[in-house]
Amino acid sequence: MPRRTDINRVLIIGSGPIVIGQACEFDYSGAQACKVLKEDGFEVILVNSNPATIMTDPAMATRTYVEPITVDSLERIIARERPDALLPTLGGQTGLNCAVDLAKAGVLEKYNVEVIGCDVEAIERGEDRKLFAEAMAEIGLECAKSGYAYGIEDAEKLADEMGFPLVLRPSFTLGGAGGGIAHNIKELREIVAQGLDLSPAGEVLVEESVLGWKEIEIEAMRDKKGNGIIICSIENFDAMGVHTGDSITVAPAMTLSKIEYQRVCTAALDILKKVGVQSGGSNVQFAINPKDGRLIVIEMNPRVSRSSALASKATGFPIAKFAAKLAVGYTLDEMPNDMTRVTPACFEPTIDYVVVKIPRFAFEKFKGTDTTLTTRMKAVGEVMSIGRTFEEALGKAARSLENNRAGIGFDGKGNFDEERFDELVGLPTEDRLFYMAEALRRGWSVEKVSEASQIDPWFVNRLKAMVDETAALEGKNLEALSYDELWRAKTFGASDIQIAHLTQTTEAQVRTRRKELGVVPAFKLVDTCAAEFASDTSYYYKTYEKTGDTLPSEKPKAMILGAGPNRIGQGIEFDYCCVHASYALADMGYETIMVNCNPETVSTDYDTSDRLYFEPLTYEDVMDIVDAEQPAGVVVTLGGQTPLKLAKPLEAAGVPIMGTKPEAIDLAEDRERFSRLLDELGIAYPAAGTADSFEEALEVADRLGYPLLVRPSYVLGGRGMVIAYNAEYLERYMNEATRISPDHPVYLDSFLEGAVELDVDALCDGKEVYIGGLLEHIEEAGIHSGDSSCCLPPFSLSQSIIDRVREHTATLALAVGVRGLINVQFAVKDSEIYVIEVNPRASRTVPFTSKASGVPLAKCAARIMAGESIASLNLPSDARELGHYSVKEAVMPFGRFPGADILLGPEMKSTGEVMGIGESFPIAYAKAALSIDYSLPLGGTVFISVCDRDKRSIAPIAHSLHNIGFKIVSTAGTASTLRASGIPVEVVRRVQDEQPNIGDMLANGEIDLVINTPFGQETRGDAYRMRTAAVRYGICYATTIAGAGALVRAIEVAKRDAESKDILVPLALQDLEQWNV
Amino acid sequence: MKTENTTAQHKAPALLMLEDGTCFEGVSCGATGEVFGEVCFNTAVVGYLEIISDPSYTGQILVMTYPQIGNYGVARADLQSEKLGLRGLVAHDINETPSNFRSEMSLPEFLATEGVVAISQVDTRALTQHIRDNGSLRAVISTSDLDRASLLKKVQASTPLSEQNVTQEVSCKRAFEYLDKNEAYDFILKPAAPAQHKVVVYDCGVTASLLRNVQRAGCAVTVAPWNTPAQDILTVKPDGVIFSNGPGNPEQAQETIAAAAELLGKIPVLGVGFGMQIMALAAGAEIERLKFGHHGCNIPVKNLTTGSTEITTQHHNFGVVFASLGTALAQEGADAKAALDNASGNALDNDAPVVKNERFGPIALTHTNLNDQTPEGISFLDIPAFGVQHHPDEASGSDESHYVFTDFIKLMDAKN
Repeated sequence: MPRRTDINRVLIIGSGPIVIGQACEFDYSGAQACKVLKEDGFEVILVNSNPATIMTDPAMATRTYVEPITVDSLERIIARERPDALLPTLGGQTGLNCAVDLAKAGVLEKYNVEVIGCDVEAIERGEDRKLFAEAMAEIGLECAKSGYAYGIEDAEKLADEMGFPLVLRPSFTLGGAGGGIAHNIKELREIVAQGLDLSPAGEVLVEESVLGWKEIEIEAMRDKKGNGIIICSIENFDAMGVHTGDSITVAPAMTLSKIEYQRVCTAALDILKKVGVQSGGSNVQFAINPKDGRLIVIEMNPRVSRSSALASKATGFPIAKFAAKLAVGYTLDEMPNDMTRVTPACFEPTIDYVVVKIPRFAFEKFKGTDTTLTTRMKAVGEVMSIGRTFEEALGKAARSLENNRAGIGFDGKGNFDEERFDELVGLPTEDRLFYMAEALRRGWSVEKVSEASQIDPWFVNRLKAMVDETAALEGKNLEALSYDELWRAKTFGASDIQIAHLTQTTEAQVRTRRKELGVVPAFKLVDTCAAEFASDTSYYYKTYEKTGDTLPSEKPKAMILGAGPNRIGQGIEFDYCCVHASYALADMGYETIMVNCNPETVSTDYDTSDRLYFEPLTYEDVMDIVDAEQPAGVVVTLGGQTPLKLAKPLEAAGVPIMGTKPEAIDLAEDRERFSRLLDELGIAYPAAGTADSFEEALEVADRLGYPLLVRPSYVLGGRGMVIAYNAEYLERYMNEATRISPDHPVYLDSFLEGAVELDVDALCDGKEVYIGGLLEHIEEAGIHSGDSSCCLPPFSLSQSIIDRVREHTATLALAVGVRGLINVQFAVKDSEIYVIEVNPRASRTVPFTSKASGVPLAKCAARIMAGESIASLNLPSDARELGHYSVKEAVMPFGRFPGADILLGPEMKSTGEVMGIGESFPIAYAKAALSIDYSLPLGGTVFISVCDRDKRSIAPIAHSLHNIGFKIVSTAGTASTLRASGIPVEVVRRVQDEQPNIGDMLANGEIDLVINTPFGQETRGDAYRMRTAAVRYGICYATTIAGAGALVRAIEVAKRDAESKDILVPLALQDLEQWNV
Repeated sequence: MKTENTTAQHKAPALLMLEDGTCFEGVSCGATGEVFGEVCFNTAVVGYLEIISDPSYTGQILVMTYPQIGNYGVARADLQSEKLGLRGLVAHDINETPSNFRSEMSLPEFLATEGVVAISQVDTRALTQHIRDNGSLRAVISTSDLDRASLLKKVQASTPLSEQNVTQEVSCKRAFEYLDKNEAYDFILKPAAPAQHKVVVYDCGVTASLLRNVQRAGCAVTVAPWNTPAQDILTVKPDGVIFSNGPGNPEQAQETIAAAAELLGKIPVLGVGFGMQIMALAAGAEIERLKFGHHGCNIPVKNLTTGSTEITTQHHNFGVVFASLGTALAQEGADAKAALDNASGNALDNDAPVVKNERFGPIALTHTNLNDQTPEGISFLDIPAFGVQHHPDEASGSDESHYVFTDFIKLMDAKN
């Protein structure tokens, strides 16, 4: 059946900012969908508030709206663009929920928009656990015994019937937010209370526990003719009880026999049919009792999901692309398989390798939170690897994690908690894999490890094989190792670093010896058909086999090193830059080679670059590819810290580095050399010192005075960075810092309290500097730039300061020797300009700056790296007036980490960002705020409590709130300040005081907005409890005066708009000036 | 620390030599010895046990493209035949520490017990590409003779599979009543329908799964040797006859072809895989050798009568040349020859192409392979008989091909 001709304009809703449970996999799927629909002649209208996405590049869709994903915002866009159809299955839970809300609000009917790809009833049947369980019973499938609780009493009654442990899942929440496992009545009450709050339906499913069962996922697709195919099966290494997003997973399923496998596949297709998936992909999760094979359906997602992105990367079958084509009328049997181009898509991919995914966590950022893995997802990213065996793939995945480890152990970096060792072999945490490997090394039996962890003995046996094979090299003489010994170790996933550690040599020596003996890997193709047919697509993985599939090419090759797993401080922004570089270099005639290990990204779409290597970003793995491909140049400055740290060793190995040279990177990163350079250039910077011990730190403090900005050297995302206001705190910090990284000194900078910070992104070709954009931070100095909201162009700085900042940037870029992108952070205090940091690489803000200015900076950078000049790029004047303001606001994951403080500081904590564009700063800020919170409080009660330092500046803010119509309540101290300014205020008791107090008011929904600013290191006090309560109850909050000021202005705008409907007007990127290079 | 229970222990070396001189080194991973056969590959990810015990692989050396097999061990209830017909097994890695509640032993133990010579640690992807490009080849696996020249000489002297009558080898020697007493699947399958029809299955290398499915569809099953004369069948008056799947070149099974020629038109007939080729030969068709056969569980087949696509399991090296069944018939104004050429994925909802057979009247093409457009199903329009090339009992994902059995029941119902 050919494509439908009765629809022409298709609306696609993206997934919004990167949050835990919804990351850049939806950019990957959404971008695929936009591309394929546009190619097919459809007009695509795209809405996504996340500027760091490829899908929001102006060329991807016909009309691109970086606007809030709310019913109100979407209705305005629909009214303006009049799409014929809405495709809701590609924007994750956010997109799907928004589509359901639009339908319920009657918007779709009003504007005659047809939902395609899925209908609203099917979404509800898939997502509403009660309807789902009924549907399953009708087709003879079992769900876990369960019941619904609408209050704590219901849950207690169900617990009486089913006993403990019980799995609790709130309905309609993202990535299982608010879910958990209750082992007793106390936990039950706690989790149910929280779940009821979080569930939009006020409903929590209480379910029989299937802890310890096997968890299996099936990715399936179906078309409107009823053709159904299985794309991939996935088996979780971790047993049931750990959210699948937090589990190590393996594709294909390993321990299911044919008949069991056939049963889950049949069940999956029956479920798609029953739920009513008309056309598209779905993910179905099952639990299987390992003792008797009993099968239970856990859930299904009638949309493209994180697992489907993984399945696409694991099999080479582009699920999202086909889901989009199926939605517009095609059927599976009439589309060719993308890989082979001769076989049809209606063909179940078969694979001849094993795929392992390991999640990446960031608990170190959220002190105070429980690090045990549960049914509620906490991972911030993931890595995937491919090998010919599970062992080879697991070893590669383990060294892809960017956690400083070189594999599953044997790298001298195991830091085991000996007191809790036995417990931690069993307890699901991010470290369990390493504890299991260590336990096996210490002689624990497979049975004992399997029993403790409930992980299937198959996996434990394989892990033991890896441990045994690697341990066999311990203490051996590298030079005496035979070809066979080294080859075996490599086939079991050992890295050169591990072998170096075991043989007491260096990675370089191991590499040399390996190559002498001919122990070199081959690169094989991912082709969907296990080599049964020839394939066109160059998607490779490395394996220790004798023959490979790589083909020579005539063109010069440019290799781009990606960013690795998403983590806090290094996310989708860098992937965006890498993808743009790939496009630009391909345009220039290079054969582009992408190297990355993150399955969620657009960069690892085999369509993005000419060749894709799905490999870890380690020296060993990158050099193996370099040896095979012999690239003319390697790009290391666009993927964040991960490739940057490889720059030096790669150059030392003779690899041509494109753009800014490692020497320049070193100049900018070496504090002493850089300070000398700034002195020579006459540019000011905060007074600083370094210290290896507390005593040395005290000396520096005496010299510079408090407060001090303290941080370890060589870090990304401000890891471990704090502001010290006194010696006592400094001592505590130094003790911990010297424990975490004993080899690196600690930096102490004079902290410029109250300064305004600026980020500048610029291009430099060695002769000329082009200022991409100046971003003024809204929060004052001391908040990590990744967490700070900012505005482009600056909204409060004088032209003379802006001019000087531009001059400094140009001087620095030329002096450091940048060829490509540079990011400079400035602080402005009392009209004095200080340089805080220079990064001679793409920064996190490049996608935002590019979207705000219409100049594709990453593409420009790639062209400069390949030798073009800025002059030849025909860019608009970098001093031009933009005519609009763009605000970037960070998205915090605090809701996922109960117990962690929500205060902003020098250590980055945000997972993602949104962008708001408007004709003024408040409008842009209001849009950004709506993109995060989905609604702003336009009235009601505000609770204000600020520290003494902020007492003076709170009055105007409170005054505005009063004028808007808010009732103000405060703690006694703040209240007296407000009264002095003539603002009516009511005093409330603090959380620690007798009830009823502010804690009760928060819990009862009596507070609509919280403004609370902390001072110094106060952490576990009263205010902390209040702030965490605000997060828990989803109350809008501000923790800085500057942030509160901006928020209040946004509320003013939103309030006026609520009446007139003509202020928060949606803007399409295509309506703003765009440049292409 | 001693390495125990790991997959790749240091084992005896083994060699795989192809008739064109290509040689792969590996280690012995089953029985020891030296075996000759025709090398073919199977792309299934799951189901190694059903595959290696399928008599369709008799005489062959099987390469599993999925690199890590044996993971869920061996449950004898999953075997498709009592005796393993394949000559040898080639894999990248065969697991020795399986995990599954039904597993009775590891795959290497089982192979050793059953006398199947196996070689692992082979780059099976490179081998598969070689077979893909060069077609099926004679091969030898040896754990005893590691002299390449000697092996090459031996393999070049071995008898090609297509010249052997393997049907004779795999078929039962005397007829018997089949009764599935296998309780191992009770945790998954629903109870069988009561027997309403008497069916004779010609055993050309039948799988347990086919017999089980026929029985579950409501038939009392008698299994007959491949060379049972048609008259013997007609005397017992069954409601239908099935020509089973099986290995090898169907032209070697002249007795079966003769029986089919006589039975067609007298009694409802179903041909499955090899059995469909037998039916076609009985109607005077030609059989062609496919370059490297169809071996896998993900093969897309278009059902031309419904327009839907089925993902099927197949194991065969020979195929029916549909046009050789008779002269093309124009149907409803459409040029049948063009329809035949177009019987691929793009000729949607077309009526199936039909040819006129001299002996049995019109025969329709009912199924085609979406990968290479070869015929996958035929239906005799004037007599109660049809055949499918794939294995309808072993659909990989859903039970969508099971309609073959219910259709056959309907055919028998109509006849009665």
